[in-house]
Amino acid sequence: MDRRKFLKQSSLASSLFFVPSFVKAFEDVARNTLGYKRLVIIQLSGGNDGLNTIVPFRNDIYYKERPTLNIAKKDVIKLNDEFGLNPSLTPLKRLYDQGYLSIINNVGYPNPIRSHFRSMDIWQTASDADTFSQSGWIGRYLDTYGKHPYTAIEVDESLSLAMKGENVNAIATKDPRAFHNLSKDPYFKSIHKHQNDPHLSEHNLGYLYKSMIAAQSSAKYIYETSSTVSTVQEYPQNKFGKQLKTTAQFINSGLDTKVFYTALNGFDTHANQLNKQNRLLKQYADGVEAFVKDLKDNGTFKDTLILTFSEFGRRVKQNASAGTDHGTANNVFVIGEHLKKQGFYNNAPNLNNLDDNGDLKFEIDFRTIYATVLDKWLEVDDKKVLNKSFSQLDFI
Amino acid sequence: MKDKHIQHLYRRIGFGILPTDLEYLSGKSRKEIVEDVFEASNTISTLEVDTSEIKDIFSGMMSEKLDPQTRMKIQKISRQKQIELNAAWIERLSSSKEILREKMTLFWANHFVCEDNFVNYIQQFNNTLRKYALGDFKTFVNAISKEAAMTKYLNTKQNRKKTPNENFARELMELFTLGEGHYTESDIKESAKAFTGYSHNVRGEFVFRKWAHDYGDKTFFGKTGNFNGEDIIDIILEEQQCAIYICSKLYRYFVNDSINEKHINELAEVFYKDYNIENVMRHMLLADWFYDDENIGNKIKSPIEFLVGIKTMVPTDFKKKKQLIHIQRLLGQTLLDPPNVAGWKGGRNWIDSNTIVLRLKLPSLLLNGAYISKIKEGQEDKQITMKKETFKKKYGKHFSTEPNWTYFSKQFKNIDVAAMEQYILACPISKDAKTYINSLEKVSKQEYCVQLMSLPEYQMC
Repeated sequence: MDRRKFLKQSSLASSLFFVPSFVKAFEDVARNTLGYKRLVIIQLSGGNDGLNTIVPFRNDIYYKERPTLNIAKKDVIKLNDEFGLNPSLTPLKRLYDQGYLSIINNVGYPNPIRSHFRSMDIWQTASDADTFSQSGWIGRYLDTYGKHPYTAIEVDESLSLAMKGENVNAIATKDPRAFHNLSKDPYFKSIHKHQNDPHLSEHNLGYLYKSMIAAQSSAKYIYETSSTVSTVQEYPQNKFGKQLKTTAQFINSGLDTKVFYTALNGFDTHANQLNKQNRLLKQYADGVEAFVKDLKDNGTFKDTLILTFSEFGRRVKQNASAGTDHGTANNVFVIGEHLKKQGFYNNAPNLNNLDDNGDLKFEIDFRTIYATVLDKWLEVDDKKVLNKSFSQLDFI
Repeated sequence: MKDKHIQHLYRRIGFGILPTDLEYLSGKSRKEIVEDVFEASNTISTLEVDTSEIKDIFSGMMSEKLDPQTRMKIQKISRQKQIELNAAWIERLSSSKEILREKMTLFWANHFVCEDNFVNYIQQFNNTLRKYALGDFKTFVNAISKEAAMTKYLNTKQNRKKTPNENFARELMELFTLGEGHYTESDIKESAKAFTGYSHNVRGEFVFRKWAHDYGDKTFFGKTGNFNGEDIIDIILEEQQCAIYICSKLYRYFVNDSINEKHINELAEVFYKDYNIENVMRHMLLADWFYDDENIGNKIKSPIEFLVGIKTMVPTDFKKKKQLIHIQRLLGQTLLDPPNVAGWKGGRNWIDSNTIVLRLKLPSLLLNGAYISKIKEGQEDKQITMKKETFKKKYGKHFSTEPNWTYFSKQFKNIDVAAMEQYILACPISKDAKTYINSLEKVSKQEYCVQLMSLPEYQMC
């Protein structure tokens, strides 16, 4: 029996006995409309070279600027007359063919910064290039709309800035069992047997007790809920594959979590880029394909949106070490079943029109993507989260 | 001075005080004790790991320019050396006699926030923080503006007459001296011009590139002239707001998360006179309000205060330096690796579901093979040795540490078990926890110490 049917039937069964019918009706409404929409974020850390990801295989400038670092026209997986995918992205082509992929080109922000730390900060906090924020965009989403810390989970050991709010932080866990084990020493239960003081968080010690109690129950909930399903789908044997496998397990078990955060590292390809990037893109595409299949088999893909970004793209011209240096605008991938604009969302970069550094000029502010996802997918007020109003796009 | 107040002082200017040290100070006056604190920090001991490998590369270079291969080689060496430097810093914090200087260095590291992937630059930067930690603030700001790591981190070295970069000028005012909202965008633009030409050579020494400097007039805070970087810092420090801003930060770090305006104004008045850091700190540590009950045991320890605090009570050797870094990362504060130029937010922001769970479990993991005794009063913890071994195998294997309990025992030799609480905790135990702890057998001072350290109360300082 699929999980949702089971839920419906069991809640129906329970309602027959003791739940007033209007409560039952409300539950159904809640489940279906507020329900299960989830966002999965994949961060490609280090600055993925967008030009060798979506390849302009008819562009002379591309081949001229990258004499030893180009993808030969014959190897490109063609998507249309001008652009195609890196050959390592074959699995992504299959998603593209099914209409599950939307490619947004030239995404960036004004006054681009070419430092990893800083640019990643900007993407994670959704701040302007010249302001420093100590809270992340998902963190601020939690501040206003998160019911529990586990409303957002980073499938890793520690939290990125993106997941830290002004008042609420998300949960980081790549191993729910270990997290649960760490928290469940009976000693920690016994020291707060009667702690139900509503004023707990008014002073710092009370805040610690409150956090401890919440953490214990989150760890237990995540572990117990996620261990109700076992994964059949095969995933690539690498760290990223494991992250996605855990994420799928969370989603398929019906964990009440809205946002998942994952990352694939190593895209800082200053030297000998070709093999390195191809290997990483393959890990990415293989992992994502397995993930999508896993979700589809469990009926959860239709309620999941996958957003892939990197902190910046790389310079058009290759450097002296067969690599590329830090650049600016880049492509963003949106994967899901309900895409309004499948395939290319907008035009690919214009290599005739570069900035003073020889970098791509951005066309779409990444925060308009965030605003769209917040408003149309997570159905919350994007202005409250981004502290600013951004025009929205039309991809979902 | 009351024991309670000496303990409070040492928790704030250091990482706690051991019974024998407390015994030595007990009965002395506040003035004597505070003067001793400054006396002990009169010297400056630089923190250094061996970077001769990198220095050798520099001395063998024919030109000032780094080729990509050399750069990568230095970065590779640096990654290893940064781990060593991090571990050496933690060790320093828990063993130095220059207690206040080291705590101030930690404070300034989260004020003048910087990071770099060349270990020799960041080590030099770190020692500049140490050198001026209690010194003259104006000299300090100037020294920071000329540090190699800083000119890299905030792009001053890319700041040239023809292509100005405002990054340093903006943060100088927003984060280092005045705080947001106390300057205009035009002040930033104009002062950025004054810092054009600031750069460094490959060895990390400050270089002023005349050809890149803008010698034209700048209008800054209503004054016009051919200002250089030092002039700009002079003008900023003329603003009373600068003293208020720095004193507020010191207050939040050493006294209370929430500001008391009266106290801040009092400190700022002292600081504005000569911008001497030692003087304003002396004023703070001698002030009656520093020892008010509402300022004792009310702050949440930073991860470093927590970790070094454990090490101060029970000296603990980390066999694997990488584990020490890993713990810092899990706790949310890795020395030498700040989140961004705004630094760590601190206070309640240290705490989330992950960090609270780890903080509660960490003392037992590091010191006691993950074991927390739960034997009821009047019973013997018979199989304690066996139980501990099982625990260690099951949960304790992740941390390879060697706690020195012998040292602890010596320190607590004359302290009654029932009195240990006041030496280990900064605030009273809440009612439920107290009831529970009292229902447990005090198996030994070691087991009781672990029990106390496993309470949320131990997170307070």
